Amino acid sequence: MNIPKLVLKNITRRKGRFVFTLLGITIGIASFVTLLSLGGSLKNEIKKQASELGANLVVTPKGWCAYEQVSVLTGEQLPEAIPFDVVKKIAAIKGLTAVPYLTERTAYRNNPVSVIGILPEEMKRFKNWEIEQGKYFVAQDEKTLVIGSGIARQFKLKVGDELTVRGERFPIAGILRETGGKDDIAVYLPLKVAQKLYGVGEMVSFIAIKVDDISRIDSYILRIQETANVAVVSDKQLLKSVLSIVGTVSITLQLIAAVAILAAAFGIINTMMTAVSERKREIGILQAIGARQSTIFKVFLIESGFYGILGGIIGVGIGLVFSSLAGPYISQNEFTAFLKGSEISQTFDFRLVLGSSFFSLFVSLISGLYPAWRASKLSPVEAISYE
Amino acid sequence: MNDIIVKTEDLVKTYNSSKVKTLALRGVSLEIPRGTFSCIIGPSGHGKSTLMHLIGGLDRPTEGSVFIDGTDISALSSGDLAALRARKIGFVFQFFNLLQNLTAAENVQTAMMFAGTSEKAQRERAGQLLSLVGLGDKTKSKPSEMSGGQQQRVAIARALANDPEILLMDEPTGNLDSESEAEVLNAIFKLHKEGKTVVIVTHNNEIAKMAEVVFEIKDGKLDGQWKN
Repeated sequence: MNIPKLVLKNITRRKGRFVFTLLGITIGIASFVTLLSLGGSLKNEIKKQASELGANLVVTPKGWCAYEQVSVLTGEQLPEAIPFDVVKKIAAIKGLTAVPYLTERTAYRNNPVSVIGILPEEMKRFKNWEIEQGKYFVAQDEKTLVIGSGIARQFKLKVGDELTVRGERFPIAGILRETGGKDDIAVYLPLKVAQKLYGVGEMVSFIAIKVDDISRIDSYILRIQETANVAVVSDKQLLKSVLSIVGTVSITLQLIAAVAILAAAFGIINTMMTAVSERKREIGILQAIGARQSTIFKVFLIESGFYGILGGIIGVGIGLVFSSLAGPYISQNEFTAFLKGSEISQTFDFRLVLGSSFFSLFVSLISGLYPAWRASKLSPVEAISYE
Repeated sequence: MNDIIVKTEDLVKTYNSSKVKTLALRGVSLEIPRGTFSCIIGPSGHGKSTLMHLIGGLDRPTEGSVFIDGTDISALSSGDLAALRARKIGFVFQFFNLLQNLTAAENVQTAMMFAGTSEKAQRERAGQLLSLVGLGDKTKSKPSEMSGGQQQRVAIARALANDPEILLMDEPTGNLDSESEAEVLNAIFKLHKEGKTVVIVTHNNEIAKMAEVVFEIKDGKLDGQWKN
């Protein structure tokens, strides 16, 4: 006989109670891991998208809210608020390259699809795009489409197929080589064609800017703001504000999960207190045959910790499965649509797995402290006389 | 070696509940010689079991002292008392007090675990002790699968687990039929013949007649003491 064996025998004799208490901590940890895992993947994905934007600065209309700034990274539809004249003025500043974006929306087979109006040559240079199939735009007013590889894969589209945008049919001229970012999940039109199609006159949504000398970025911002009445945000600021939004959402969700874990902790306390009360006589017997107070304390604390270890391991497993299953559903959300086709579901964070398992153990040990202390403080005579 | 293995001096035990103060023992002094078979007799509720709990270190006296092998155990820490119970004293209770979720062998092994015996040695000795009390074939049986007499013999085997010098038994046959009582008493006599100091708390005069030394407790006091 040894202490772990004794603990195991104690735990498994009330199988129903054992399973329900275990479920409490398992569900708590599973939801914690799911939300943490999704939040972590979301942050990584946003960082990836920011680096793939390829811009040092983003010019937006004044007064844009944080959600609109997020949309620069996610490729969502944005208001058309910057006149093309401003694009020209900014592009004329020496030492920088400016490319305008007109981000719109269409639907294909009842799925939302990003439509982006671009200056074909400028954008190709800016992004270093390559063509996988077909050909790229040859004219600024060409009424064809170039589509991302993700869209081609998702809807099984090939060069020559037609796609209806705002009631007008466009042939697909080319398919871009996979970039691994949101560029893969958009449909591109020459800017002029897109502006006409969506009836936005000469307006664009935002301007992405690459500067030649990154050390002079502040002077570029000043010069852009002197040139036009616009807001300029650096890629780092943009990333920071996007991550702060995502961080706030993640923390809120994690707090909800923490409440679930707290409820599970009280479940463990309740189970252990019931066990102490039910096994009062046994505690007395153990003391009579030589168990020290510290041994009784250890027996109950290990018993409580067992819930944490097992619940933690199962919970982490379920959490990882849930987060991978939840990936596609999350990508159906407008805010997170850019995650579609990304590797969010395959993210395996070893620190998260280990951290959550230890957290589960920690919570269960803390929960077990008071019941274990109560058990160890029982007087042998009082305990053994308990009917 | 001290010939007196158990000695009590002016033992007083008071139980204080919220409203009532009960004086269970009122200055009991006695000496139990090493290797004897002693009985503590008296009517129910007069302090016999309280005395046994104090001698066995399960409780502390309100006043007075208990000496085991010359050591005043009233002054020991709870950890040292637990060590004393593990190595020097074996308890047998009226209601067997076996751990219901463990087998007979595991019940015996648990007592050895607290004394730090290795698992291999635990298994070997548990088998030997259960054979000694005639339960060699019941090692894997749970208490619920055994008769009262068998359960009490498992309790005796458990009390012997760490080879204690003193066996304290509180009404060991009080809950048994006559056949089981005989089985248990046989086992007890066998142990006494092997040199163990056996102290039985009982109100069974037939058992008291078999004892070498008898202490009679009445109203929390030592009312009489004689040798058979």
